[in-house]
Amino acid sequence: MASFARLIRVALGACAFLLVIAASAPCNAQQVNPTASSVKEQQLLQELNRIQGRVSIPDQRSGVLEQPAGRDWREFRNVTLRWIGGIAILGMLAVLVIFYLTRGMVRLESGRSGRTIVRFTAFERFVHWMTATCFIVLAISGLNITFGRPLLLPLIGFEAFSEWSQWAKYAHNYLSFPFTIGVVLIFLMWIAGNIPNKVDVEWLKRGGGIVGHDHPPAYRFNAGQKAIYWIVVLGGGAVAVTGYELMFPFYLSGIEGMQLAQVVHSIVAVLFIAAMLAHIYIGTLGMEGAFEAMGTGEVDLNWAREHHSLWVEEEQAKGHAPSASVPRATPAE
Amino acid sequence: MKAFLAALLFAAIVAIGVSLLLNAIQTPSYVAFTTEGVRVGDPGHNLVGPG
Repeated sequence: MASFARLIRVALGACAFLLVIAASAPCNAQQVNPTASSVKEQQLLQELNRIQGRVSIPDQRSGVLEQPAGRDWREFRNVTLRWIGGIAILGMLAVLVIFYLTRGMVRLESGRSGRTIVRFTAFERFVHWMTATCFIVLAISGLNITFGRPLLLPLIGFEAFSEWSQWAKYAHNYLSFPFTIGVVLIFLMWIAGNIPNKVDVEWLKRGGGIVGHDHPPAYRFNAGQKAIYWIVVLGGGAVAVTGYELMFPFYLSGIEGMQLAQVVHSIVAVLFIAAMLAHIYIGTLGMEGAFEAMGTGEVDLNWAREHHSLWVEEEQAKGHAPSASVPRATPAE
Repeated sequence: MKAFLAALLFAAIVAIGVSLLLNAIQTPSYVAFTTEGVRVGDPGHNLVGPG
């Protein structure tokens, strides 16, 4: 009797189990997704051009969660800019190395005269070096923003990279001010000698003395130096304006304006760095006697005659340079 | 060399002066955006913090 009752209980249990299984099947079939018909991210972006909501802090602009331009900008910053910067800077370095190996240093063909002429005053050198040193720090700290994460972080680790990046960012922000002062002073100081003229066309046609061994006439600044001047003035002005737009967010523009500012700032900056590499090369390794102009401020008269003959004539006419008739100093026997 | 050293010194003075000036006149975001209803936490010592 007891075994019969146990059999009945097992049979009832099995029936109950089957009933539960059978009852649950239609439920699964009828289960609905309550958010299936709700608006999707892509639909919102298409309709509103951005995803935004309400925030409780006073700055309502922080309510913008996503905007298409932001994703385009991120793609530019993480991919396109790295390609542009890499090609511009490494390409320029490669060109300079090839140029140095094939052309070598531009030598002082007539040798040193032993007499010098003042090329740049102490104030001009002060302004040049202030702008140059600030530029180098700005360039390194700026490149860290673009290339630091993929290149430097794996080498030095998170903590060191974080500390370095923090100080680099401070240096980038605050040294921009003396750099901007330097760009303004350079513009005012040398504008008179950097207006393009017919002499520059002839200088360019003859390769500027860099290509070949010709020495085309030039005033105080030749066409190459004028190009560097305008790159510094216009490029420096562009990075300064766009940099301050980024340093003081929302004072001059909204998010879209700042994204555009970052694009302009970064592209101009990497091209600026590439141009300055060429400038540094010519002023040091590339041309014998050139560094003295910004080193001591005086250059050998023969160097000045070879590279800036028209300027030497002007200086001699003013009495600021030794005359050609003055006998050369001879070494004591 | 004197011009170079003077340039470094002047650049450092301007940079430090500007940093002091801006830190004096600007309010940190975690203070500026704190209201009676919302208190924004001090981010601490990191890239966006007061340093």
